[in-house]
Amino acid sequence: MSFVQFNPTLVSHELVQDLKWDAELRREFEADQASVLDRYPLASDERDAIDNGDFRALYDMGMHPYLGGQLARLMYGNAAGPDATRAVNRLVASLTGEDRPDDRTTT
Amino acid sequence: MGEIVLSVAASHAPGLAGLYEGAPEETKAEVDKMYGTMAAEISAAQLDVLIVIANDHLANSKVLEYPDYLVGMAAEHTGPYEWFKPWLNCRDYTLQGRPDVAEAMITGMARRGTKFFGRRENLRYDDNLSIPTVLCDFDTNGVPVVPILLNCNVPPVPDQRQCYATGQALGDLIRNDLPDGMRVGLFGSGGLSHEPGGKRYFFIDQEFDHWFLDLLEQGDHDKLLNEVTPERMELSGAGGTAELFAWFIVLGAIGERPCSRLGYTAYDNFKCGVGAVRWEMSA
Repeated sequence: MSFVQFNPTLVSHELVQDLKWDAELRREFEADQASVLDRYPLASDERDAIDNGDFRALYDMGMHPYLGGQLARLMYGNAAGPDATRAVNRLVASLTGEDRPDDRTTT
Repeated sequence: MGEIVLSVAASHAPGLAGLYEGAPEETKAEVDKMYGTMAAEISAAQLDVLIVIANDHLANSKVLEYPDYLVGMAAEHTGPYEWFKPWLNCRDYTLQGRPDVAEAMITGMARRGTKFFGRRENLRYDDNLSIPTVLCDFDTNGVPVVPILLNCNVPPVPDQRQCYATGQALGDLIRNDLPDGMRVGLFGSGGLSHEPGGKRYFFIDQEFDHWFLDLLEQGDHDKLLNEVTPERMELSGAGGTAELFAWFIVLGAIGERPCSRLGYTAYDNFKCGVGAVRWEMSA
């Protein structure tokens, strides 16, 4: 996973960092994801990729992988153990195209 | 003049706290051995300040305005930051800071040509500071801490040579700018091989990890600087292995010293090769 395609100006970076730093925004995101996304000037394909959990597309647009991993946790679960493991597996599945069970803990 | 009396470096994966209970017994024993040894040595070193150098992990600054070095200037450092708590599943802590040392570092590094940014308010700490804190008991043994959060993630990052040079300047600053008799410890926090957020999220490159630890024990800094490049690190885990640049700051600060590994373990679910070393400072 090279950083060659990294795009510092991608709006998704601001979304993820705001969500990490603002508990109220995070609660709104969990309750109504669309209403939070509406507040950010996301490109249409960027918005589609978030709506669809398509991390491969986001990374191709230049999303930073570290923030991509955190977006997966914001979407699928953040707690140590099954929650975070599910988030990691769904992220990796999107990036690789492979079918991964939510509870897998190996490469 | 200040004196560097202790230097160690170790990994800081969140799983070391949050997933520790589910790890194999031999893994837990290795973790206990490594961090327990460092905890005992830090406690015994009678430090006036412990400088912890670690990846910021995009936790404190926006991508568009990202510093390479960010110093925690607060009188107290508390953590983990709220969003990281469920992920880390470790105890809350409060560490004594050293604002005077933080200010001296920012001023002294500016005079030496390197911009250290600083914040007087508490920074957001994830596993970078939280893991060494709870595994090495910084909070309970009362050692004052000054964190330097390093840009290991937002290109272009300071590479091994830049970090080594930064370490050389930091070492000079400690020896010449800090008060006489001040006992200083250095803790490089990060690595070993891992790829957070990448398609190889669970991958641990044990061959790389042992090669790197062997190089440290051999102690030839020119060889380390020539061979442990950003490109080599990326092969072993993009965006994570580069945390080893924090170790290069320690290397630059102390120069060539005998180094020994305190342990190593590779457990897939930690998603990170976990190792630790200590440098002999009385040699």
